[in-house]
Amino acid sequence: MDEPRATRLVETALRCYPARWRRRHGEEAAELAALLIRDGTPAASIAWSYLAGAAREWLTPRPGRRLSTVACALLVAACSLGVSAGLLAPAAPARAAPTRAASTGQARASAHCRPGLPVPVPGVVAALGRPQVIIWEAAHGRSC
Amino acid sequence: MAVGRRDGRAGQDVLRRVGEASVLVLISLADGPKHGYALIQDIKELAGVELGPGTLYGALDRLERLGLIESLPADDRRHPYRITAPGAAALRVHLDSLERLSAAGRLRLQLGGI
Repeated sequence: MDEPRATRLVETALRCYPARWRRRHGEEAAELAALLIRDGTPAASIAWSYLAGAAREWLTPRPGRRLSTVACALLVAACSLGVSAGLLAPAAPARAAPTRAASTGQARASAHCRPGLPVPVPGVVAALGRPQVIIWEAAHGRSC
Repeated sequence: MAVGRRDGRAGQDVLRRVGEASVLVLISLADGPKHGYALIQDIKELAGVELGPGTLYGALDRLERLGLIESLPADDRRHPYRITAPGAAALRVHLDSLERLSAAGRLRLQLGGI
């Protein structure tokens, strides 16, 4: 690997460290890498060592990092909750409607074997207190 | 957070849990201050272990946090590191402990006739 590319590779790995670490060791670490490359150490192995070091540095608990860790955990929890709610929201009415419709035998009987006809299901709308909703019941291929 | 100030556990082997790289760094610094490149070369000669630069800085940070080494003012862009008095004491305790373990191991090998 030519020197500019090796230098870029190492610099990229060094950018993975926290800013505090880079301020403290950044220049020295880049110079050390240059000396090791001059000695014949492969740039990829130096970069890999710095990458592993950066991962360790981020994962090592620090007193000042507690708040940000908590903030990150909260953010992740909020995101996962949001995604779960988003996935569940469209599925819930579709699952709930047939259950309620099943309890109204008359409506079910009239809707049976008449695919494509809109059948208002009494009870559902009243319970929700919303404008009337038309529920389309699909035909049951087995009995018709 | 330095070992001596934090809990005053004099005589306890605090280096047992810091990892091999940190112990090698301390041993290398025992005969005088060195910067990163010199440490890597010295440890390679001393123990045949080629420390990666990421591992080296991890060990230096850990030892510095524990108060076992300190960084000296930079010459050019390099920071030399020096072992502190608690660092030297901790290294002595650790080497004594290794010596006892080594002696016990040799004795058992002898008794076992292997």
